Order: sequence, then structure tokens, then C-alpha cells
Amino acid sequence: MNNALSTCGLALVMSVALIGMPACAKKSVQSGGDSQSTQGTAKGGTDSSKSGVGSFPDTSVQSGSGGLRGLDKNPSEERVGGGTMLAKVDPSSSAERQMAEVRAEQAASAAAGLRDVFFGYDSWTISEDGRQALTRDADWMKSNSNALVKVEGHCDERGTSAYNLVLGEKRAKAARNYLVELGVSANRLSVVSYGKERQICNEHAESCYQQNRRGHLAIKTGK
Amino acid sequence: MTRVKLIGAWLGGTLLIAGVVGILESGAADVFLEATRPDFQKITLGVMGIQTAGGPDWLGGRIEEVLKKDVKRSLVFDLVDLPSLGIQTSDIGNGVGTGSKVVFKQAAEKGVSVVVWGKAGMKGSDKEADVNMEGFVYDNGSDELVGGKRYVGSTSVVRMMAHRFADELVFRYTGEPGIARTKIAYVAEQGAARELFVMDYDGYDARQLTADGFLNLMPQWSPDRRFLIFTAYRNRNTQDIDMIELATGKRWTVISLGGLNITPSLSPDGNFLAFASSHEGNSELYRLDTRTKVIQRLTVNPSGDLSPSWSPNGREMVFVSDRSGGPQLFLMSSDGSNVRRLTFEGDYNAAPVWSPRGNWIAYVCRTHREYKLCVISPDGQKRLQLTTGSGVDDSPSWSPDGRHLVFSSTSDGKSQIYMIDADGKDIERLTFQGTHNSAPSWSPAS
Repeated sequence: MNNALSTCGLALVMSVALIGMPACAKKSVQSGGDSQSTQGTAKGGTDSSKSGVGSFPDTSVQSGSGGLRGLDKNPSEERVGGGTMLAKVDPSSSAERQMAEVRAEQAASAAAGLRDVFFGYDSWTISEDGRQALTRDADWMKSNSNALVKVEGHCDERGTSAYNLVLGEKRAKAARNYLVELGVSANRLSVVSYGKERQICNEHAESCYQQNRRGHLAIKTGK
Repeated sequence: MTRVKLIGAWLGGTLLIAGVVGILESGAADVFLEATRPDFQKITLGVMGIQTAGGPDWLGGRIEEVLKKDVKRSLVFDLVDLPSLGIQTSDIGNGVGTGSKVVFKQAAEKGVSVVVWGKAGMKGSDKEADVNMEGFVYDNGSDELVGGKRYVGSTSVVRMMAHRFADELVFRYTGEPGIARTKIAYVAEQGAARELFVMDYDGYDARQLTADGFLNLMPQWSPDRRFLIFTAYRNRNTQDIDMIELATGKRWTVISLGGLNITPSLSPDGNFLAFASSHEGNSELYRLDTRTKVIQRLTVNPSGDLSPSWSPNGREMVFVSDRSGGPQLFLMSSDGSNVRRLTFEGDYNAAPVWSPRGNWIAYVCRTHREYKLCVISPDGQKRLQLTTGSGVDDSPSWSPDGRHLVFSSTSDGKSQIYMIDADGKDIERLTFQGTHNSAPSWSPAS
């Protein structure tokens, strides 16, 4: 504990010393310009809620002994339950609907013959092969001008889940940007990162990792 | 890899680590002891057995088994095997009389500080009858009862009786609430979907919380244990941060800004939510004031910033940024000022979590293309690699007492969840069902 305290003390001193350049002052300028801009949320324009922020319950803790009453020479009876109350999961129709939609999307994408782009380890650079694949994809999109395409970024199983979500987004955006460069309208393209959470190959081998490091183009079906 | 082999490899790794620390700095022994024994020597404790006094014949044995494992995992007690010391646990009788006096004295002579025994039976004769469990505690060789507990509940909660008793023992001798009644939230694969689950801290009693057929990722507990906050995909296209109330299953969206919205982390007091979002271009860190709903941007950098984790006093955060190439850990004050890099060893350091005791930050470090667990002190002076071998280790999460970490690993093939002591000494696999269990998050103590 002493350790932690001394570290924090040091940090406080340093923050006083650096007060001339607080990182957050800069960004309010960057994210807007008016006085609302520090909230930075006003531009979440695609969301149903205006601010993009939902309700938030009070989650603070009243500290205590966690329901423990201590040992007693003449212990009274304590009723024991299962611990934390957990609701029974509602097997809503959501799971079936989502799976059906995924299947429809996959079928439409396969029928269109759109090609994936593959990436190197830790990389989001589009290779020569990737450029060729995207050139064909762009041609298809130009001749199917009503189609909306979702560019999915995927990663192999190595690395952390969280960082792979960021890496997947970089890959999806790299592919999207190249399609736009080729003349596809940006508003027909959306990007999403699935990180390493939706792999198409599950072996622990480089041949498999290669297939999973991909930008996948999916036709948007339904809404 | 088998479990036995794994433990062997870990012990070897631990010795190696101790050596490495010795080279790095002179205070090596202190570093190692600090992690092993936070504040004191372990207290020797012997369990004289939980006798079955009616009811199913597994009753006492089951409670005893769970209790012993809890006592061992507490790392507060050194669980002593009494028969190997020549002590006949059956001599305890009903805890009074000369037999028990002799046993208490024997135990004290062999250096056993605390002796526990108990009995369990049924409260009635019908099938729906409750279990009645009593536990008694003696210490320092005295035959005078320190105190006891009496629990009543259905046969389905006998594990919880043992957990409660174990936590009372920890509370009695340390003043801390213990971790035996804590829970672990995690993500399990269900077909192509990933759903949220919650299980007991020892891997038992897993319950499913979501069933929406797509991706639910990286759950974190609210400080009051009533909610989980996590990343989900609305219509598979938009990434949001959602919350679910455990008791009701009620679920709603908290952050929906467009782009990537990931790695939510509530401040220890619950007043702020830090998270990463790419709605302004690339992944940056933000802080939501949960009362005013004002969002403040914390980082400004063309690189990816993510995975914030709060210091226990809420004044600082550790996070991941790839601003210097590969992902590295950085520290900053919780208002985004005073950013400085923490890790310099290796080209991939990610998924940091600040210990509730404040003295360590656990994270995933890459060595030779393997992703392993490391801990580093917040001043960057001490660093230990906790795991070795093959496989991807991910998502470390501290126990509320700071003595253990839970994490996912593919070291046995599929991703499963493991518990490890904070010094890397012992490892226990917690999940055995399913094809992919990941992203464990340890609940606060109740």
C-alpha cells in the first residue's frame, strides 16, 4: 500500500508541473468548437438516442462486512441462498432472428462473389493481392449500384480480444478507404470490427491465422 | 497439455522469474515475498472434518471438500493435512470431552494455530427438508470455543454454506471479507454467438445471462455487483456499450456513439465510466460522468487508445496505446493529463488491469510470439512474467483481495478460464465445458 501511495503522490506533483499542457484542453477544440463540444457526443448522429448516452444507475457501494456476521459462541440460524440473484435468461426470438439474418447475409455475399482481403501479422496494410481483390469488388459495386456493403475487419486468435477489435477496425477502414479511392461511394459502405471473435478457421496454425486476418465484404440485407 | 504438466512448467517458470528479478534490482527478495505474503505469515489451519449427521451420505464430505479448497485458495491460511501429522480427526467426537481436548493440544504442538470442525444433517425427515450445517472454530490449542456458525438452506446451496463459512474464517483472522462468495462473469461460445455467463469463483454453478445470438464481449462488474457492463453489437453492425441487471435480466444501451465502443471500465466509486470509442475517427479514450452524463475526451492521438483501468483510488488510469508502434501500457491522471509510458520491454503489451491493492498492474505481454501474463509495478521498477509456455493468455482480472488473477488461456487447446496466484505460483483451471470460454471478470467482494 505504501508503494501505491507514494506513486500517486508523485503523479500529483507531476501533474501540477505539467499543468500548462493538459491533453484534454486541446481536444475540446478538435471535437467541435462550441461550448458543447467537450461532451463530444452530439455527433453520434446515427444513433436513435440524441446524445448516445443511455440511463445510468447508481452503482456505488455502501461498504460493510459483506453480509458476514462474525463467529458466535451461540450462533443463531442463518438462512443461506444461492448468493447473487441471477435472472433466468430469456430465450427470446432474438437469437434465431440474428442467426437467420447472418445466414441471409452470407448467402447474398457468396452469390455476389465478393472477395476478401487478407492481411499480414499485426498489419493493416493492403497488399498487392488485396488491391486486386478490392478492384474486383469495386467493379461489382459499381455495376450493382443499389447494394450496400459492410466491410468487416477480422483478426487471428493471437493477441488480446480488445486490441484485436481496434486492429480489426483499422483493417476494415483500410479496405473501405481503398474502395472509396476506386470510386465507390462512401455512403454505400459501412465498417465494423469483429476482432478475433468471428473466425472462419479454428486451428492453431499459420495457415489458419492467414485466413482469419481478413477484411470481409458482406452484402447488407434487410435494414 | 495436461494439467499436471502445466503446473510443473509454472513452478519452473516461477523460479526462473525470481532469478531474473534478482538481476534487475537488489530488492528482489522483497518483491517476491510481497506478492506471496501480502501482510503476514499464513495462519496454519486444520479441518477436523465436517461430519454427516443424517441426510445423504455425501453431505458432510461435500461441504468439507469445498471448505478445504476455499481455505487453501484464501492464501490467508496454510491448510494442514492433520492425519499426516498423526492426528486422528475422528477423536474430535462432538467437540467436548477429553478426546477433543487431546486433539486440540496435539494440533497446537504440531504448530496448527486454528482447528475447525463441523457437522451437517437434515432439519426434518421429509424430502424437502433443509440442510442444517454447523461449524466450530478453536485456536491456540485451547478447548474453549472461539465461535461458530449455523447455516440452514436447501440441499442445492451446501457449496454456498461452505463458502460463507470460509469467508467468516478469513474475516475473523484478517478483517477482510474473503473471496469464497465472489463470482466470475465471462463469455462463452454458443454456436456462432458469444453470450455472457456468471459462475461461482471456483467454476461451479455457471448461469447464462444473455441469449441474443450474436456477440457480447468483455463484461465488467459494477462496484455494487448488481450490473455487468459490456460490449455488444446492435443489429450486428453497430458496437455499443450495454448494461444488464443481474437480478432482473433487464438490459439497455449506455453508450451508443457510432464506431467502435469498447473496453468499458467503471471507476471504483461508480461515478465515472471510462471507455474507448472511435466515433471521432480512431479509437480514443473517453470518460462519462455517470450522474451528469457529460462525456469528456481524455486522449488525442492518431493511434489507437483503449482498455482503460482505474487505480483503486480513482485518480489514475492505465491504458493501451499503439502511439509508439505496437501496443504499450501508458498511465495518465483520470482527467487525461500527465500521460507517460509504463512498459518498454517487448513490442506488445496490452489488456492492463490495476490491482485493487494498487501495487501491481497485470497485463498481457508478448514474448516469442506467445501472449503471457505479466505484472508491473505502477512506477515501472518491478516486472514479473507470471506464465510461460505456449498458448494465448488474455483478459486478466484481479480477485478483490488482490491475491489472485483469473484469465483466459488457449494453453490446453480451446480457450478456457484459469485462476493463478498473484505471484504466478499456483494455477487452477476453472472451466471444462464448452468450446470457448473467455474474458473473465472477477466480481468485487460482497
